[in-house]
Amino acid sequence: MKDNQNPISPHLQIYRWHISSLLSITHRISGVVNLLALILIFFWLLTLSIGENNYELFLLAINSFFGKFILIGFTWSMCFHVLSGVRHLAWDMGYGFEIKTANISGIIIIISSLVVTIIFWLLGRGLV
Amino acid sequence: MNATRKWILHRISAIILAPLFVWLYFSFLSLSKKNYQEAIYFFENPLFTILTIILFLVGFFHIKISLNEIFEDYIHNKKIKDVANILALILSIITPVIILILLIYKI
Repeated sequence: MKDNQNPISPHLQIYRWHISSLLSITHRISGVVNLLALILIFFWLLTLSIGENNYELFLLAINSFFGKFILIGFTWSMCFHVLSGVRHLAWDMGYGFEIKTANISGIIIIISSLVVTIIFWLLGRGLV
Repeated sequence: MNATRKWILHRISAIILAPLFVWLYFSFLSLSKKNYQEAIYFFENPLFTILTIILFLVGFFHIKISLNEIFEDYIHNKKIKDVANILALILSIITPVIILILLIYKI
């Protein structure tokens, strides 16, 4: 038998990204990132219960440049996962399956997750 | 646990977690700029302690089901998959239990 010339699908290197597939894998990745965030919050509570010196050290770490970078990333990850989760729940109830609707809701989620992250950060860190 | 029940519980835990996560992140971000005393003072409110414990319990339940699904999709070796699932189970039991002990007895 000759080599089969049919395309192998889905093949990641030649795969054309759609909003639906991009958001699907981002939902998973942000979920795993949220697990890391929860572990950071675990250490926050752990240092808080161990004592003041340890807690000050923890605060120093999360208020460093790198720490803030991580916190912003975790905040976005949480916002995205919650918003995208609402979209998944709508699908579970049978709404929003049309391709056009799914694309629009996907774009709305990308933009709103960024906006909500900024609002969250400004209000939470008391910058407004 | 059968698949349908797992699916439904996964969704229910998601609905419980969404508002809790928003609340906890907001509190965490606010307290990240304040000192030790203010953080201790925050957890003197029993409601906040209870909400945090619920978040960790329900959160790690949600994480356990999610990790099982992810391992099912990406790990093809059955032995490795079983070990990974056991580790996920241990993580999702130990973490909330430690949080429970810390928040009730230490803070």
